[in-house]
Amino acid sequence: MTSIIEVEGLTKHYRGVTAVDDATFALQGPAIHGLLGRNGAGKTTLMQLISGQEFASSGTIRVFGESPVENPDVLGRMCFIKESQVYPDGFKAPHVLRAASWFFPHWNEELAQQLVEDFRLPVKRQVKKMSRGQRSALGAIVAIASRAELTLLDEPYAGLDAVARHLFYDRLLADYAEHPRTIVLSTHLIDEAADLLERVIVIDSGRIVINELADDLRGSATTLAGRAEDVERFAQGREVIDQSRLGGLATVTLLGLTAQDKDTAQKAGLEISPVSLQQLIVRRTGASMEQELAS
Amino acid sequence: MTAVATAPAPGRSGTPSRIVNAARIHAANPWGTLILPWIIYAAIFALTLAIWGLITMNAGGRQNLDADAFLYNGGGTWVLFYMMVVAVQAMNQTFKFALGLCVTRREYYLGSALYFLFLSAIYTTGITLLGIVERATDGWGLQGSFFVPFWMQEASLAERWLAWFGLFTVFFFLGAAVATVYVRWGSNGMIAFFATLSVLALAAVFVIVRFDLGPEVSGWFGARSLVQLVGLGLVASAVAGLVGFLLMRRATPRA
Repeated sequence: MTSIIEVEGLTKHYRGVTAVDDATFALQGPAIHGLLGRNGAGKTTLMQLISGQEFASSGTIRVFGESPVENPDVLGRMCFIKESQVYPDGFKAPHVLRAASWFFPHWNEELAQQLVEDFRLPVKRQVKKMSRGQRSALGAIVAIASRAELTLLDEPYAGLDAVARHLFYDRLLADYAEHPRTIVLSTHLIDEAADLLERVIVIDSGRIVINELADDLRGSATTLAGRAEDVERFAQGREVIDQSRLGGLATVTLLGLTAQDKDTAQKAGLEISPVSLQQLIVRRTGASMEQELAS
Repeated sequence: MTAVATAPAPGRSGTPSRIVNAARIHAANPWGTLILPWIIYAAIFALTLAIWGLITMNAGGRQNLDADAFLYNGGGTWVLFYMMVVAVQAMNQTFKFALGLCVTRREYYLGSALYFLFLSAIYTTGITLLGIVERATDGWGLQGSFFVPFWMQEASLAERWLAWFGLFTVFFFLGAAVATVYVRWGSNGMIAFFATLSVLALAAVFVIVRFDLGPEVSGWFGARSLVQLVGLGLVASAVAGLVGFLLMRRATPRA
C-alpha cells in the first residue's frame, strides 16, 4: 500500500466560512475509504480541493505525490463524481458516457453499457430532466466504468432507492475485486457503507475529528446490556458515551474496553455487542461539538 | 467496442489529444453552436429577401430603384454578434462538466479555443460559398448584398474569406473572454464588466468628439486595406484569447 492522497494543514476559507480547517491526513491504496460527516461539514469542498477544482487557502495536497492543481498527470488518473455535477443542456446519458470515455484511460465501454442496463438508466432522456436518483446512477456508472486509479465519489447515492444502492455497492465491489484501486466515498449513510471501508475520516465543521482504520474504530467501543445495577457497577469509572435504561434493564456504550474487561463483563452476566459505526460516529462527533462549545 | 475503437486513445499529460477531446465536448451536442445559428441566419436571410421582394414589387420592378438600394444592410453581419452569445453559452455550459471529468482549466480553454477556430472556419466557408452564389445570381436576382456586405464589394474571394474569418475569431474570442468573466464571477462580474466597458466606450467617444478626432479616426481606418484590418482583428482576437486564458486559470466550478 502506498500513499495516494496526502493532505497537510489544509485550510479553505470560502465566503467568510472556513469550509476546511487545518486538515491533515493520508489515504493509502488500493483500498476503499470513507469520508463521513453531516451535510455541510466540508466533504464536498475537501474533494474539490483534492481534485483541483478549488484552490486551497493554505496547506498542501499531494495526490500520487504531486499537486493536483492544473496537473494532467494527476487528474488524468483520477475520477471525481459529485452529486451536484452540472451537465450541459441537451446532454443525454450516451453523450456523458462518450465524453467520459475520452478522458479516462482505463474506461470500459462494455461495463458502462452493462451498468446502464442494470440501473435501467433512460438513454433518451436529457440528463437535466432526469430524477435525482437517475443522475446519481449516471454518476455511479461513470465512476465504476472509469476504473480510474483514484475515484472520488461525493454522496454517490443521493436519491437512489434501496435496491439501486444495493446494486451500486454490489457492482462497485465486484469491479473493485477484479481491478483494485483507491476509492473515497463520502456519505452520511454510514452503516450501509461501513463494511466496505478501510479507513474512516470524519469531518465536522471543516475539521477532521476522526481518522482511524474502520476496524480499530469498531473495536474502540462496546455496548453492554443487562440488569441495571450490574451495568452501572461495571460502567463506574469508565468512559461512557451512551446509556439508556428501560425498567430494570440498562444498556451502556463504553470506550476502550480490553479483552480482559470484556471477559469480566461477560462473567458479570452482561451481554456484549459491537457498536455500529454510525452510532459511534454520531456519539463521537456529538461529544466533540460539546467540547467545542465548552471551550 | 466500436465506439471506443473509433475514438482517439485517451491522452495523458496534457497531450494534444486531451485538448482535442476537450474541444469535442463542445461538439458532442452540436445544436447550439452548429445548427441553431444557421437556422436563425437562414430565417433572417429569408425575411430580408421577402422585404427586398416587396419593395421591388411596389416600385414596379428593380429598374425603378437605385442600383445600391439593397446594398446597405446589417442582416448578413448580424451573425457575428450572435457568435459572441454562442461562445458565452458554450463555455458556460461545458466548463463545469469538463472539470467534472478531471480536465485541467488549461486543457479546457485550449480545447475551447480550438473549437472556436473550427467554428470560425465552418461559418466563414459557408458564408463565402453563399457569397459566391449571391454574386453569380446578381444578388438573388434583386442586386441585393447579404453575404457580401457593402464594405467587401471590391474584395477578392480570398480576401472575403479572410475578412469573415478574422471577424468570426474576434467575436468568438471576445465571447470566450466574456464567458470566463461569467464563469469566474457570475452575473455580478458580467454587470461590472459591461458597466466598465460602457464607461470606456463613452470616454473614447468623448475624447474623439471633444478633440474633434472623428475625421482622423475614420481616415486612419479608411486608409487601411482589408487585409490590414483583418490582421488587426486577429491581434484583437489573440489579446481577448489571452485575457480569457488568464481569467480561466483561477476559475472554479461552483454550483
